[in-house]
Amino acid sequence: MLKRLFSERPLRLPHIKPYVPRPSDPSIFWFNSERGDIVSDVVNRICGAHETDRSRLEIALNDAAFHEIRRLEHQRDEEARDRLGYWRSMIRRIGKMDDAEQRQALHTIVSNMAHDVAGNFDPRVYRFARQAIPRLVAGVMEPRRFASSFTAPQSEVLSRVLRVQGDIDHLQYLQSEGSLVFVPTHSSNLDSIVLAQALEVSGLPPVVYGAGKNLFTNPIISFFMHNLGAYRVDRRIRVRLYKEVLTLYSQVMIERGYHSLFFPGGTRSRSGMIERHLKLGLLGSAVEAFTTNRVRRVQRPVWFVPTTINYALVLEAETLIRDWLTEEGQTRYIIEDDEFSQIDRWVAFFRKVVGMRGACIIRFGEPIDPFGNAIDEKGASLSPAGRNIDPGGYVERRGTPVVDATRDAAYTRELGTVLAERYERDTVLMSTQVVAHVLYRHLVQATPGMDLFGRMRLRSEVSIDREVVHKDLGDARERLLALEAKGEVRVSDVVREDSPNELLEAALQFWNGYHTSTAASLDGDRVLLCDPSLLLYYQNRMVSFADRIADTDQMEAACEIEALGVHR
Amino acid sequence: MSLRVGVVGAGGFGQAIASAAVRQRHDVVLWSRRERSLPDSIRPSTAIDNMEDRDLIFLAAPARHATSLADQLGKVVDGRHLIVHVSRGLIGAELKTITTVLREHTAARRLGALAGPLVPNALAEGRPSGAILGTRFPEVTEMVREAIGGSDLRIYDTTDVLGVQLASATVGFLTVVLAYAQETGVEPSTLAVLATRGMVEISRIGQALGASEETFMGLAGLGDLIAAVAGDERAESLVGRALARGAELASAVAEAGAYVEGIEVAQNMIEQAHRLGLETPISSVFVEISSRRMTPEDAMHALMERRVGPE
Repeated sequence: MLKRLFSERPLRLPHIKPYVPRPSDPSIFWFNSERGDIVSDVVNRICGAHETDRSRLEIALNDAAFHEIRRLEHQRDEEARDRLGYWRSMIRRIGKMDDAEQRQALHTIVSNMAHDVAGNFDPRVYRFARQAIPRLVAGVMEPRRFASSFTAPQSEVLSRVLRVQGDIDHLQYLQSEGSLVFVPTHSSNLDSIVLAQALEVSGLPPVVYGAGKNLFTNPIISFFMHNLGAYRVDRRIRVRLYKEVLTLYSQVMIERGYHSLFFPGGTRSRSGMIERHLKLGLLGSAVEAFTTNRVRRVQRPVWFVPTTINYALVLEAETLIRDWLTEEGQTRYIIEDDEFSQIDRWVAFFRKVVGMRGACIIRFGEPIDPFGNAIDEKGASLSPAGRNIDPGGYVERRGTPVVDATRDAAYTRELGTVLAERYERDTVLMSTQVVAHVLYRHLVQATPGMDLFGRMRLRSEVSIDREVVHKDLGDARERLLALEAKGEVRVSDVVREDSPNELLEAALQFWNGYHTSTAASLDGDRVLLCDPSLLLYYQNRMVSFADRIADTDQMEAACEIEALGVHR
Repeated sequence: MSLRVGVVGAGGFGQAIASAAVRQRHDVVLWSRRERSLPDSIRPSTAIDNMEDRDLIFLAAPARHATSLADQLGKVVDGRHLIVHVSRGLIGAELKTITTVLREHTAARRLGALAGPLVPNALAEGRPSGAILGTRFPEVTEMVREAIGGSDLRIYDTTDVLGVQLASATVGFLTVVLAYAQETGVEPSTLAVLATRGMVEISRIGQALGASEETFMGLAGLGDLIAAVAGDERAESLVGRALARGAELASAVAEAGAYVEGIEVAQNMIEQAHRLGLETPISSVFVEISSRRMTPEDAMHALMERRVGPE
């Protein structure tokens, strides 16, 4: 009941005196004063697009009623008891409604959806969160220093665990000149929290982002999510109008200059691989925002910041890889029972990573315009030859900027391809991933002809001479450094600087004691492969580099590993 | 409204496109490396800068020149420009398409590939014909139809840009094979089997690389092949026949008087197919024949001896 109360109506703090934003405040501080206007804008544009065509309007209403009835009948919860009657009545009446009644019904549905999606931004919650959350996390990580963590001026613990890379000065300049859209890789539900922290320590402004409604079931997380500008995305809703509301909401926010964040992978990478096929809906909203502004003669640039979030240890690794390996995992979109929802796993996770060097690296890649072009230090778009070009030219038709959804969908598709390339190039390979790859490759070599699932059953059955592992780690590292020199990938400092022995020890230490079973362990002078599914998860980050770091005698196994990524 | 059309490359196709656009009363500039005498209605140019004010640019040059021409175009074009190429080639071992090269070397994004049973003479003279345009941008289709389409040229469109380019390039090679077979006097039924199985072979490779089977069975693939077999006198057919008469590959190409992209594509296509785990019996055998490592009789024997299964 309490859960539902918070998830349906997130708690807001009472306002005694409204906060008046200062000119130096980030754009999100203006959000509350504009929220009503933004919601109206979304509702009016969607209703306007449907109202001129009765058949389109009728299809939209039927689609909404059909999908909502199906969802609620399946859910059988309090929401179903409240709303099922409304939709059943609606589907019976649609055909009998006159034009005005249909338009009114559409307006009511879209308006409800837009209000449900729209977030809130409370500067008081923001100030509290930026002060308290890093210290709270630091306190959990190091209980002995819990008290001092709240008085220390800067959380040393967090800065040791979380490293931020990229041209921060450039991003700081751009944030005052246009709308930034951060588009990170997605591995964990911790991503949005970690990224918010990375923005904070980098002096970058807070961003608006869509959070799955499942994250709002925890009342504390729901409170922070809701009051820090997050908009709610209910992935159970299949209604076409709802998708239109979501993308248009995102578009309107970007049009108005709010910095945004969305995960183009759509959901956490179940396999652990770097995302290649991206969902284009929200990316398209940013491209359309640029176009709409140009048509209205608003010269506000939109820049995308490809970002990689790289963990040596992933909070939900076991659930994610299990999901990927089962048929259910192919379709299961929302997981409510993973490690993210278990506070003891959080504590175990943070305690594990605090003592380790380089546990998480956020890398902000070079920003690009909506058409995949690099930009210079002032934000001007550059051609491949390095010439300044006007991005407005892309949306012109014989000299005039025009809105064209089909054209912009084609641009978005191209942008998705560029982002996937950037992800690969800007991924920072971590100790656990490199070690897991070398060990998993041995497993493949030791089991020729065996399929993936056969290998997953080989728990603690294969071991490798430690000296062989050291040699292979050294060779793999040398090849990765050569790839890094060519700009094809990046490696963490631990991978770059530590000896193969230290690298192996670091990875084993990360795995040991956090996951319910360790991925690998030492057994005298041999390395025992304990949990092949965990090894698979961590090594999957490296599938696209497998053949580039293999010896001739390892090539067959490397190609087999690379083939895992073909349909990702 | 008159369009500003640019054509890069003054070979047969470049001049034919320029003539077709002039016939539609558009303002046409044709760029070539060296000065040429052209009809008064076509403005010649040797300065790539003259492409800057064009609405639509046709790149009509062999694939081997595409990278350097794209590099030059990259100095003058931007997001406003629409570029369509008519090359039948692919570049390098990874079979890079010309649209990819244009994407890498220029800021233009609204790109297209024009292919199918389109031959320069018919286009230049306005004889009824058809073509396929691969592009994801409807405005590219619209502008190309306006520039050179009309009652004598039907231009169909598809969003399978990759498929159009792969089909066009690989059919070029298949044309050489069929012309060779025709010249050696094979039976019509043998020719039919060779053509059909050849199409299946290249279509499988295309699909493995991400193209659609339908594209191979449409104008870019099968349509183009029918035109070639029917005898539209394209260079690939001349090379095939010369090879069958015993000419060396180099002299066969010289005899055809035009650059044949298909031969170059074949070897890279075979290697790529093998990496993807696909068989290429017809292509592999023909590469052996053209390099004189296999006699036509042995080739036929090798193909006929293969295990036969469901179609």
